[in-house]
Amino acid sequence: MIIDIKKFGAILTSRQLGKEALAAYLPNLNNISEFEKIYVNFEEIDVFSPSWGDEFLTVLYRKFGNRLILKKSSNASVKASIEMIEEANNIKFNIE
Amino acid sequence: MINNKLKISEAATYLGVSIDTLRRWEEKGKLKSLRANQGDHRYYNLAQLEDFLTASCVSLAIKWARNNVGEKPNNIFYCSDSSVFQGRLYKLRNALSINKEIESFFSLLISVVGEIGDNSFGHNLGNWPDINGIFFAYNIKKKIIVLADRGQGVCKTLKRVKPELQNDAEALKVAFTEVLSGRAPESRGNGLKYVRAVIEKNPASLFFQSGEAELNLNQNNLILKIKKSKKFIQGCLAIIKF
Repeated sequence: MIIDIKKFGAILTSRQLGKEALAAYLPNLNNISEFEKIYVNFEEIDVFSPSWGDEFLTVLYRKFGNRLILKKSSNASVKASIEMIEEANNIKFNIE
Repeated sequence: MINNKLKISEAATYLGVSIDTLRRWEEKGKLKSLRANQGDHRYYNLAQLEDFLTASCVSLAIKWARNNVGEKPNNIFYCSDSSVFQGRLYKLRNALSINKEIESFFSLLISVVGEIGDNSFGHNLGNWPDINGIFFAYNIKKKIIVLADRGQGVCKTLKRVKPELQNDAEALKVAFTEVLSGRAPESRGNGLKYVRAVIEKNPASLFFQSGEAELNLNQNNLILKIKKSKKFIQGCLAIIKF
């Protein structure tokens, strides 16, 4: 399963919108198999922030653990936000 | 207003000044009206007035944040709710995307602005003391972005989860250094810490004030120095230079 983050918008900075994005997307993950990996693709994202990311990525991490795989991104705001989310929540994402 | 041209009375209302002030500004060459001859009526272009306001957006934001009485700012700067702010963030993105000088930290700059604005809405939702929403403006030529709110301020917000906080200076220190949230019971609140991390690693600076405490951050100023402000504001004021 691949989650294309660009489908939620090009500028993802609001905590409230992160929450809404997750609520809208979660039903898609109801029927995935026990071992299926979930890849998160940040391609074509302009701006990302820890607030949006915390509401979306942290919740997915808590639910799926290392089955959640973040694809490496060259976008500076994606990289900085992921670092901040990891530090704030004391977690380590699986990044490939 | 006809064809985006405003009469002097309309221009005065738009700018929030008197007609006499506009006449004085014209005499001093500060803001010229459109008129072919001396005796003709004065008119002003809407775009001209917007440029005039934008040129002084920082002083207008400071004045708005410090005012004892809350008033809605001019519509071109006013984000009454987070959806308006989000829309204007896209406009800022478009305006900055053609600036090659900041290409390397363009996405970080917008995300910092987004975090600061989102903080204002997130921490004051349903609790705005007088005016809902934020003042958000930028001047691309001067490379400056300003955000202000008339919310509860950092100290009052953080006291909900850290009641031992004594004053605005302590609250600012916590906000910029500790992972903590004012929206208990959520264990979140990394916005201003993220802002600090980005500013300190990039060619930008930040002035931030809440209550009667303020700080300046930039690449050459890595030690967090918080000082007492000369004038109190009830909410938050952020000025970013890039």
